[in-house]
This record gives sequence, structure tokens and C-alpha cells, in this order.
Amino acid sequence: MKWKAIVLPIVVAAALLAVWAGVWATGAFHESAFPSPLAVARGFGEEMRSGRLLNDSITSLFRVVCGFLLAVGVGVPGGLWLGQVLAARLAFLPIINFFRNLSPLAWMPFAILWFGVGDAASIFLIFLSVFFPIVLSTMAAVANIPAVYFRVAEDYGLHGRERLTQVTLPAIMPQVITTLRVTAGLAWLVVVAAEMIAGRDGLGFAVMDSRNGLRTDLLVTAMIAIGLIGIVIDRVLVQLTKIPSVRWGYDR
Amino acid sequence: MFRSTAVKILAGAALLVIVLGVLRYKPWQRRDQPMEAARASLNVGFLPVTCHLTCPVTDFATRTSATTRFESQRFTDFPTIVESIKGGRLEATFMIAPLAMKLREQGVPVKILYLGHRDGSTIMVRSDLPAKDLRDLRGRVFALPSKYSNQNLVLRKLMEDQGVKPDEINFVEMPPPDMPGALASRAIDAYFVGEPHAAKAELDRSGRVLYHAKDIWPQFISCVLVVTENLIREQPEVVRDLVRGIAESGEWAESHRLDAAKVAAPYFRQDESVVRYVLTQPPDRVSYRMLEPTDAEMEQIHRMALKAGILERPIDMKDLIDRSFIPPHIRAAEISVN
Amino acid sequence: MNQLVSLQLKNVSRSFGEVDVLRRISLEISRGEFVAVVGPSGCGKTTLLNLLSGYDRPTSGTIESSGRRRMIYQQDGLFPWLTVNENIGLGLRQLHGEREREGAVTDLLRLIRLEGFERHYPHQLSGGMRQRVELARALAGESDILLMDEPFSALDYLTRMQMRRELARILAERPRTVVLVTHDIEEAAQLADRVVVLSERPAQIRDQLRIAAPRPRNLTDDEVVQAIHRILTVLGIEHEPERATEMERTL
Ligand SMILES: Nc1ncnc2c1ncn2[C@@H]1O[C@H](COP(=O)(O)OP(=O)(O)OP(=O)(O)O)[C@@H](O)[C@H]1O
Ligand SMILES: [Mg+2]
Repeated sequence: MKWKAIVLPIVVAAALLAVWAGVWATGAFHESAFPSPLAVARGFGEEMRSGRLLNDSITSLFRVVCGFLLAVGVGVPGGLWLGQVLAARLAFLPIINFFRNLSPLAWMPFAILWFGVGDAASIFLIFLSVFFPIVLSTMAAVANIPAVYFRVAEDYGLHGRERLTQVTLPAIMPQVITTLRVTAGLAWLVVVAAEMIAGRDGLGFAVMDSRNGLRTDLLVTAMIAIGLIGIVIDRVLVQLTKIPSVRWGYDR
Repeated sequence: MFRSTAVKILAGAALLVIVLGVLRYKPWQRRDQPMEAARASLNVGFLPVTCHLTCPVTDFATRTSATTRFESQRFTDFPTIVESIKGGRLEATFMIAPLAMKLREQGVPVKILYLGHRDGSTIMVRSDLPAKDLRDLRGRVFALPSKYSNQNLVLRKLMEDQGVKPDEINFVEMPPPDMPGALASRAIDAYFVGEPHAAKAELDRSGRVLYHAKDIWPQFISCVLVVTENLIREQPEVVRDLVRGIAESGEWAESHRLDAAKVAAPYFRQDESVVRYVLTQPPDRVSYRMLEPTDAEMEQIHRMALKAGILERPIDMKDLIDRSFIPPHIRAAEISVN
Repeated sequence: MNQLVSLQLKNVSRSFGEVDVLRRISLEISRGEFVAVVGPSGCGKTTLLNLLSGYDRPTSGTIESSGRRRMIYQQDGLFPWLTVNENIGLGLRQLHGEREREGAVTDLLRLIRLEGFERHYPHQLSGGMRQRVELARALAGESDILLMDEPFSALDYLTRMQMRRELARILAERPRTVVLVTHDIEEAAQLADRVVVLSERPAQIRDQLRIAAPRPRNLTDDEVVQAIHRILTVLGIEHEPERATEMERTL
């Protein structure tokens, strides 16, 4: 079981690599339109040695982590509030739905006008893409907490802050964590798109820059880095679902 | 229990931000270069095209100079440059001339101080098409970088001269880096763009030169140096240094073409051989001399922009152009490569 | 209120808007007494428990109680994010001192025969085990009155039978005043000192019967069988006793 989980994906990746090399070998595409695995490997080495790939990865990760944590830090309390206060829900829900349906990339020009090219603009765009799903999902989770938990809380003298930290928060945790996983993937998509336009560094910029530099091998290198880091981000967030006190949300 | 896990996760998140922040900003590197902070520096925007070559060369030349450090800031498109200027985060940049006029029309206080280059744009056609002029491109797909580009204006003039009506050619707007690939895959039949995006198709043998810009409009201008009035008001000396730096870099590039390719390629992050090809095949493909904008040629661009509907109303060209920073004598910058 | 009385209802009525649910109910429950409440579905049994627990207030009439009240819910009243230990610990919040609390939890675990499951989460337990943990949590910390709303109705038949035995055994060790709402007349007859039969809505007390037999009782004990019969008769489901007793004699 365990070895299968390691070997099988490697086999698939190797097969994919073989197909790639095979298509390249037919010569159907010009080298600049379809780089060979070897050229990409060389490009990878070049980018690693120059340190650019590492710097770009760190830059993108830094932006994602900042934007994401900011959105979680504002979105979860916001969702808690909306979930508990009916008037707030009535007042804000339509406008939240309005903004949720705007692609964060539509904000790109304003992001550049307000924050310039660099970290702040990307963080702003990531914030926008993560904030609204988190608010809505937290709100729904709060509204769906079975009433019996609050009765029990009352019976055992949990009020106010204690009720919040010992009943409401743990009760919504499984659903919030699921949303975190989904939105982290979204944030990673958005940072790359944002950096392609409003960046001077980062993996998205590396994509755009390789394109401007007419270097498809480096383009593929950046794409591979983006994919791999995306996997790592999801693996890290999966760890959250393994916390014993949230397992109940996934096991039944 | 729930509490302690939450604390652990929060601590982990905070640690992650700090570690990434430190790796990103590398505070230890700042301390190594105490001189850096003492010296004034100015960011100058450019795109990785040979029309903007003097920008990275000036950057290279002022790396260690005693005066202002001109740091070239690479962008990937003009809209981002415009948004950075409007947002007050960029005060000097290279950009296409009609776009500078458009900014002025919108009330953004910018001035054209100097030209970036002359010539250096090329019309490419698919190598398998027997086209000899624009008349043969009727019904074909023709790519332009932007409707605000000078290429667009010049092309319209040429069409008029050859008796081709505007709607007889299908124009598409396309980012320059995509043009050679689109030509190779026959998605487009011809394009007009600044180098090296034309030379790329020539090197690939998927396209051939139909016209060099100089064949259509001798001493063709596409890009100009644009500076905000704010910068002129507050740091006139820096602006003077900048214009002189660009003039001297241009003079140097003119006589050191191979070295210029070597210096610029890393800034462009392009293959040095492509840049070298543009600068040498033939040597007058692009020129970095005589960069003082004349009233006549700027007025001509202005007129053409109005006619093409890019500008909605005439602008006062005296407000737009300021030649007072151009040095009287231009000598080649002293640049040693390696 | 008398020292020996735990709960006292005087002319209690409760209506929701136009709907009269409870009408003029008067009831006195002594300390240590086990009262079962049976009645048709929808007649207002849960409403009555909500009044007794203090969660809801009567439209008219008065309710008095003395002692700490704890409710046991039909199912899933345990917090799924807390372990068995921590859930039971909720009932001990007023105890000071870590050691004291740990001792109390250990005692309760032994009482409900779940030693070794301290660190399990509710979703890792069977339905019967979960109800035992609920019971332990409600018993914890010297509570006085247990209010149970169909606590075993989600369990299968055999488990339900076992839980009755368990409840009787546990109450023998930790005596409490109990109000048990149930659909299950056998359960009422087997466990209660007194069975209160409610009428259709608006609910009134139709009858009360005392069952004096000692516990633990078997379901097939004579007293229990007779009590079941009497309750069913009050509810109009079985006939008057004459013929039945005759048949019994002939057997
Ligand atoms: N909060 C409420 N608002 C309006 N009506 C209510 C409310 N709570 C209960 N009722 C009504 O009171 C009546 C009795 O409800 P209750 O839940 O007490 O019945 P029950 O005897 O517990 O039923 P069951 O045996 O099915 O659990 C029902 O008709 C119900 O519609
Ligand atoms: Mg009920």
C-alpha cells in the first residue's frame, strides 16, 4: 500500500516525460515552440545556480502566505460575525456575493494604481480572491452548527468568550479547513496570474519574463516549479485535517 | 486540546511569514553595502525591446558612478507602466510616443524629454508569402503591438500612400513576444513591431523583412523618454543626469554594438545572439544618435494620432516637449564591459 | 417548597401563538424519584422538558426546582471535537484542582464501564457507548436532576435493553431525581417509579401510575407486564383487564 503510493506516481510521471521526449523527437514542433526535456533540465540547472528560481519561489510563497493569512485573519472573524448576527447577514450578504463573483484579476489595474508593482499589489489580489470564499463558508458553517451544541453549552455554563472558543470555533473548524485548502489552491493560481502582470519577481513574473525573453525552456522550468509548490502547499494544509479534534468532520 | 493546537498553528503561521520575509528581503545583504543607501537612485521603466536599449546601458554605466544611480526597472507591458505612473510609483520611463500624448491628454503631468532611439522597428511577413508591399497583404491578418503605438500610425500612412483602405487588412493587437510564434504557426500573416521580436522570426526563418522602419519613415521614432513634471520640479539635476546618461549611453552603443548586446542581454533576459543580431544585421537597423525630438516630427505624430482617433482633441505640444535637459555636447559614455 | 421535592409545576400552560401545547399541568416530583413521561407523538413532551430544564418559560403557571439540572439529548449531545475525557470534564467545570477532576472522571468512566476509551472521540464510539458518556457527563459534578429526552430511541433494540439495565445500575450507585421522556412504554414501565401519561395536544395529565417493584426489574416481571398493560389501556390501545386476567388464570 505504502510503496504503491510512491512508485505509481513516479511511473506516471516517467511515462509523461517519455511522451514529452517522444513528441519532441518527432520534430513536429520547432524547438522554440516545444523545448526538449533536456533543454528544460539545463534551464532548471541554470536557474538554480543563478538562485533566481529559489528567489522567485520564495517571493511568490511570501506573497501567498501574507495575502492568505490576512484574508483568513479578517475573513474568519467576519464570517463568525455574519453567521451569528442576522441583521449583519441581511446587510452584507448581497454585497459579498457581488464581490465574490468578480474575478480578482479584474482588480489588477487598481492593484497597480494603488499599490504599485510588487508585493503589495499581489497580496491585495490574493486577499480578494481568498477573503470572500472564506467569509461565506465560515458564515454558512456557523449557521449550520446544530442547535443542540448551544443547548449543551448553556447547560454546562459556557457563555460568551468560552462559548465562542470552545463551541463555535471547534464546531466550524472542519468546514473552515476544507475551505482553506480550496482557497489556498486559488491563491496560488492568483499569485502567478498577478505576478505575470504586476510583478518584477516571483514565479508568475518568471513565466512572463521567459516569454518576453523568448525562452520556452525557462518557461517550462517555472511551470514545473509552480506545479510542485502547489502540491506542497496542499500537502501542508492536509496536515490540518489530521488534527485529532477536527477528524470528526471528515470521518463520517 | 483545541486551544493548544490553535496556538501551535498560529505560531507556525507567524514563523512561516517571518522566515519567508527574511529570505525574501535578505536584511543581511543591506548591511554589506552601506554606500548604496547614501547615493540617490531613480527607477527608470523599460520593456525588454531594443528600442529601450539605452535604459539598461545607462543602468550599467551608473552602477558605480558618483552621481545618481539609474536603476532600470523592467516591465512586461505598457498598461502596467501607465498604471505605475498614474499611481505615482514611477517617475521616469521609456514609452511609445502616442501613448505619452494620450497621457497628457488625460491630464497626467508628463513631459517628453528625449528619444529612446531611431528606427529599430520592422515589418515582417511569412517567408512563404510572395508579398512585395502592403497591397499584397489585402485580406491578410496583420498584428500590431497596440493601437497607441507609432507602428500603427506609420502603417496607416503607408497604406494611404499605397492606396490600401483601412478595412482591407485585418488588424489584430498582440503582445510582441507572441508575434514570432504566431507567424510561425501561420495564425498571422505579417506584423510590425520593435526589435528583437522581428529578428526572432528572421532567425527562425519563419518570416522575412518586408520593410525596415527607415524605408518607410527615415529616422522613425517609436519610443521616447517620459518624465513626470513632479520629478522635473523637485530634482532637476537628477533629470539632467538622466538625459545626459542616456545620450552618452546611446553614443557608446552606437560605436560598441557587440559590447552593447552583451551588456543589455541580461537586463532583457534574452539570448545575447538575438540582441547582437538586431544591433548588427544590418548595423543601421536601429540607431541611438540624434535623439533630440524635433517639433516637426512630433507634430507629425500628433497629427497622425488625431487622425487615427487615438487622441480625441489636440494637445499643446509645447507643454509636452521639453528639450532643456539635452546636453550640448555628447561624448560616448565610458563603459568597460567585464 | 418542601425539602423533599425536586420539581414542582403548578397549573403550567404553554402555547406557541395560537397552538396550545400544554394545558394546566400540575406535577410534583420528589427527590430521588424516577418519573417517566409518555404520550402521543407531538403532544408536548419535549416542550415539558424544556420548561423543566429552565430553557423555556411557561405561558402561565409556575415551576420551581431545587438542585442542579442536566439534560440528556436524544443523540449527538456530545461535542465531537472533545475526547470522552474532555466531554465528561465539561460536567466537572465547577470542581477546582486538576487531580480532583481527574479522579472524578476516572470514577465515572469506571461507572459506565468505558475504561480505556478516555482518549477516544465520540465518532469512534458506538451509539450505546456515546449515550453512556452522555450519562456520565450529566452525572458528573454532583448534579441533582437528570432530564432525559428519549435518550435511547436512536439505539437498536438489544442495546436499548442493555442501556436500561445500565441506567438502573448506575442510578443505584448515584441516585438522582430523573424525568425520562419516552415513546417506549416498556422502558417507562421497567425503569420508573411513576409513569405520567399525557393526552393528545393540548396535553393534560391523563393518568399517573405508580410502580412499586424493586429494581433491577426484568421486562418479563409480572409488575412490569401489568404496568405496560395499564399504560396501554390508558392510552386506549389495549382493552380492559377482565378477559386477560381470566386467560392468565386458565394458563
Ligand atoms: N418553538 C416552537 N414554536 C412553535 N411550536 C412549537 C415549538 N416547539 C414545539 N412546538 C409545537 O408544540 C407541539 C409539541 O411539540 P413537542 O416537541 O413538545 O412534542 P413531543 O411530544 O416531544 O413530540 P415527539 O414525541 O414527536 O418528540 C408540536 O405541535 C410542535 O409543533
Ligand atoms: Mg420530543
